[in-house]
Amino acid sequence: MTIAMIPMPIAARVAPTLAVEGLSIDYGPVQAVRNVSLAIAPGEAYGLIGESGSGKSTVAYAVMGYLNSGRVSGGRVVLNGADVFAMGERGLEAVRGSVVSMVFQDPMNALNPSIRVGEQIAEGIRRHAGLDRRAARKRTLELIGLVNLPDPEAITLRYPHQLSGGQLQRIVIAMALALEPKLLVLDEPTTGLDVTTEAVILDLIADIKARSNVALLFISHNLGVVARMCDRVGVLYAGTLVEEGRTDDLLQRPHHPYTRGLIDAMPSVTAAREMVGIPGRLPDLAQVPDGCIFQDRCVLATADCRHGVIPMETIGPGHSSRCLRWRSCATELAPARPAVPRASLAGMAPRLEVADLTRDFPGAPLFPFFRSRPVVQALRGVSLDVREGETVAIVGESGSGKSTFGRLVAGLDRPGGGRILFDGRDISALARARGRDDQRDVQFVFQNPHSALNPHHSVEAIIGRPLRLYLGLRGRALRERVLEILTAVRLGERYLTRAPRELSGGEKQRVCIARAFAANPKLVICDEPTSALDISVQAAILQELRRLQRESENQTSYLFITHDLGVVRQIADRVAVMYLGEIVEFGETADIFTAPQHPYTEALLAAVPEIGRAEQANRRDMRLEGPLPKPTNPPTGCGFHTRCPRVLGPLCETMPPKQSKAEGHWLKCHIPIAQLRRLQESG
Amino acid sequence: MSTNDIPLVAEAEAKVPPAVTRGSRMGKASRQTRGMLVSDVVLIATLLAVVAMVLVPGWIAPYSPTEFNPAVAMMPPSWEYPFGTDEFGRDILSRVIHGARPTLVVAIAGAIMGVGLGTVTGLLAGYAGGRTDEVLMRFMDALMSFPTLILATLIVVMLGSNPVNVIAAIGIVFWPRSARIARAVAQDVAQRSFIEAAWVRGESHAYILFRELLPGVLNVVVVDLSLRITYGTMLSASLSYLGIGVTPPTPAWGLMVKDGQQFIQFASWMVIWPCVAISVVAVAAVLAGERLRQILAPTERGN
Amino acid sequence: MIELIIRRTGLLVLVLLAVSFMTFMIVNVLPGDVTAVVLGDTASPQQAALLRERLGLNEPVLGRYIGWLADMLRGNFGVSLLYNVPIAPMLAGRLLNSTILAVLALAVAIPVAMGLGVFAAMHRGSTADRVITAMTAVTFSVPEFVKGLALILIFGIWLQILPGSSLLAPGQSPFSDPAILVLPVAVVAISMLPYFVQITRAGMIDAFASDYVRTAILKGMPRHVVALKHALRNGILPAVAVIGMTLGNALGGLVVVETVFSYSGIGQLMVSAINARDIPIIQSTVMIVAATYAVGNLLADVVSIALNPRLRP
Repeated sequence: MTIAMIPMPIAARVAPTLAVEGLSIDYGPVQAVRNVSLAIAPGEAYGLIGESGSGKSTVAYAVMGYLNSGRVSGGRVVLNGADVFAMGERGLEAVRGSVVSMVFQDPMNALNPSIRVGEQIAEGIRRHAGLDRRAARKRTLELIGLVNLPDPEAITLRYPHQLSGGQLQRIVIAMALALEPKLLVLDEPTTGLDVTTEAVILDLIADIKARSNVALLFISHNLGVVARMCDRVGVLYAGTLVEEGRTDDLLQRPHHPYTRGLIDAMPSVTAAREMVGIPGRLPDLAQVPDGCIFQDRCVLATADCRHGVIPMETIGPGHSSRCLRWRSCATELAPARPAVPRASLAGMAPRLEVADLTRDFPGAPLFPFFRSRPVVQALRGVSLDVREGETVAIVGESGSGKSTFGRLVAGLDRPGGGRILFDGRDISALARARGRDDQRDVQFVFQNPHSALNPHHSVEAIIGRPLRLYLGLRGRALRERVLEILTAVRLGERYLTRAPRELSGGEKQRVCIARAFAANPKLVICDEPTSALDISVQAAILQELRRLQRESENQTSYLFITHDLGVVRQIADRVAVMYLGEIVEFGETADIFTAPQHPYTEALLAAVPEIGRAEQANRRDMRLEGPLPKPTNPPTGCGFHTRCPRVLGPLCETMPPKQSKAEGHWLKCHIPIAQLRRLQESG
Repeated sequence: MSTNDIPLVAEAEAKVPPAVTRGSRMGKASRQTRGMLVSDVVLIATLLAVVAMVLVPGWIAPYSPTEFNPAVAMMPPSWEYPFGTDEFGRDILSRVIHGARPTLVVAIAGAIMGVGLGTVTGLLAGYAGGRTDEVLMRFMDALMSFPTLILATLIVVMLGSNPVNVIAAIGIVFWPRSARIARAVAQDVAQRSFIEAAWVRGESHAYILFRELLPGVLNVVVVDLSLRITYGTMLSASLSYLGIGVTPPTPAWGLMVKDGQQFIQFASWMVIWPCVAISVVAVAAVLAGERLRQILAPTERGN
Repeated sequence: MIELIIRRTGLLVLVLLAVSFMTFMIVNVLPGDVTAVVLGDTASPQQAALLRERLGLNEPVLGRYIGWLADMLRGNFGVSLLYNVPIAPMLAGRLLNSTILAVLALAVAIPVAMGLGVFAAMHRGSTADRVITAMTAVTFSVPEFVKGLALILIFGIWLQILPGSSLLAPGQSPFSDPAILVLPVAVVAISMLPYFVQITRAGMIDAFASDYVRTAILKGMPRHVVALKHALRNGILPAVAVIGMTLGNALGGLVVVETVFSYSGIGQLMVSAINARDIPIIQSTVMIVAATYAVGNLLADVVSIALNPRLRP
């Protein structure tokens, strides 16, 4: 493989800012990155897409000459004309932060907790530009203004823990831009952030790109983000670059089965279509298989794909694919199917009815046994119902109270006020205090499958436990039922004796789901069940959940808690949008996604980056500015008025009325529905 | 926190994430540490010898540990008396061998008592949280405000100077320290979702404590116990050096050192050999604890 | 931050109350008649009655405790049974001697330990690191008196360059002959070292593995700036936090070290009081040591809070 086979895009005919040539990196026996080549021209944004284990971060850090315990086993990285691996320590120190700099995934951990943020920006300036303290300070203030943070003087004196995630990421960006680098490497820069914050940060990066000639290497697992930010895209799978091309070209007309699989697995907010997961798991990179790296998971794979070196083939201008059968991608792979519309559940009996639920968390007292400090109002009067066989999603950003709500329904916590009725019975008690039937009927699937399974129990013991507890099954009957459920979640008999550590993330979550479904529950609360998983696994898990619901004897209902609007669109019948401990809008999924009414819902949807979404749909006027109010002291009246782009004035500081739009669709806002609609259309 | 009682050496490595966070592999080094090493053979041999000294000292020791033999008083080491003799002509080697039992039995029994009490307390505090945790741990704090040796001394002096009370003293001294460790681990485990999963299922507290929580804490408890045996040896030796808890002519190692110290100028072997015995046992115990920790370390830390 | 400090101080008062109560109870109420402990089994009933009267044992326990506590707070530590003199002046000189020993040891141990810990962390896995780790494990597991006697043997008896005993005439300042301080200080310091070294090393290894250190490296900061400015600040926090505890263990160790070297400090006073069953002295010395320990802990907490900006709101 030589880079000559990859045609350079027009822009890259000038000397590229970055050229990665046949790069291979090993961690011990693991060949994490193999023969990766790419080039980025000045002013160009290159997106590197991949799931966990793809080696994308390894490439990103290698670009900066930072290998940690990795070893370069081939190839080189040419940055601004100089070979990075030949620089030596001194050379790297001179280049890092000045010629190339990085924006990190987790800004809270990326900044030093014991040093004021101003100094963390300034020290690099002093070091590289040789400025004195005053000049460096002046430049620091300038930079903080550049990333749109208010009151730079005050910000410089802050410590990282005193700033919000969005503010910290701006600081990190300011730090990266300090010396006007030639190349900016962004490693999942918005992954830990809320979607509205993500939108603002992406705007900022887009502005920076528009204003300067900096080249961007944008690492992400999110196709939507890459689609919005990048000119060209490379797709990395298990350490191999499998496809590369212009962003729109590659995402509209993928010519590698893996790229196609990723796109099909992405949940979309704009259209309801069937999500399809990619079966199988990553190959073991300690023994890289001969032939195509994707062969085991590929539906197109033939005998030819199983040996030899698969070359990168040019399939169009600036578009190449490492697939022998790229011609068949468009024809043989099934087209994306629109989701099967679900029958209306309007007539079904209510299963869960929640009224005026509140929950306060008292602050820790100053002295033991003393007066408490101000309370956090996690839930401020939430009412909601879930019907038999229905999926109701609760969507909100961090701090909205959505998880607290799920925990109350599950009996992990007791409400401060209000009522939870399940099949007409009051269950506002801790799970332990509920009757056996109620315990059996209400089950929970946790966010993090890695911590939801006791590492000391086998899969059989884990799934068998509810059966023993609720149904008193023992011996053969128990084993048979466990097997039956294992099969239902597509895990076979050989998983019975496994320990959780021998399972992949997706398999763990399947075991969790099997445990929840073992005793035929009537309501399953899913708290972000896929947020810890890769997209291709997420799609499969969501499919599984829907199938189990369809096939369940009990018309199982889901209470689905998530921050991911795409997932909501794909799985929910109805949606409740939460903000600061309140539901601001509740209604049918299709209704809410096609015609959002509440300004917060509108802002949320406008913030989601997605493939194929035109730039004008990127509604910058709907960005949420300012910090989330403190839950100890929420705003009076409408909780959203401090950040609402459509705020009317003092009226919003009074309690908003609950307006009904259609049957079962309501929102809390002072602006009449008709006027909201006009505002949305003109916006 | 100022008072976390980290077992020496132990936690230090455990906290460090593997250098490679992506990709799962077990490094060569960690595979090596699981197998048998030459040093392990030496370690096991030493521990076996110590066990024999505790169980059947009479079979090994060439002479009586207590019988006076003025004819050979204060003999330097020789073929006949490899470790020399003391001022009463007793063979130091035999006394060192017989000294294992009074020194180590109290250390081990005390360590077991302390770690047992501590584990139960720590599990309860870590699992229950809130007020229970607060009250239990404040009590533990108060117990910990006494430096170990001083508390042990006080207890033995007041309860009466005999081996059983030394065991009780060592147990009480270790109780809060083990409780802190067990609590820290229990809290860590209690935060994991599988505990909440058990809650949602409506499991009893007993089930959660013993079936869900305990297995995750056990590894640390075992390592803690092995370290406590080391500290217990130190403590029991120090107590007997101060003349507390044992009475002559019992050949406890600390007491032998105390008695020999007045002759240190011209019969240093009377001091050196019991000191060597204490050091060997203590170092062996600490190394054994370290190996246990390596062997028991979970292969995967989850996230 | 102020709030946290107030909180810790409040806890300190609670803990000290509990400690005083326990000290009092252990000595006064636990099984076994105190008079038997003090006088031995051969005492006549008259002697016992006299002693009970003298110790005030005939009054209700709670009243006695409050009275004792009030006396302590006023600096009245009672009268020694053995020497029949007020305890307070006797304590003062001894306490000073012990403090000199402890503070010198701390002054030696902290910089050395932090240096070794940081060095070991920076060269993790190297031979030097393994030697340091092994040495700390060995020195940690060996009791103070063994270490003390080893030093006496080597430097006092074989090499004869330092005095093997640190006997002081009454009222004599240890500084009048600094040589006698060397070995006791060395033993206490060596006993403090391992814990510090290990915690510093672990803290530094954590810091070196952290994202913010990676950030500093990728900002192009040179190695020494990364280590000393970025890693050190966070890496030594855990070690600072355990200074108080180490001090407490050292105070316990002082009992042994002072006995080994016949150094007239508070620990040696305590041992002789225990052997003589001199209850008022036992109570006072235990209380003083426990209080010092608790206050030391508080100071270490305050320092680590002050050094740790994360604890500021």
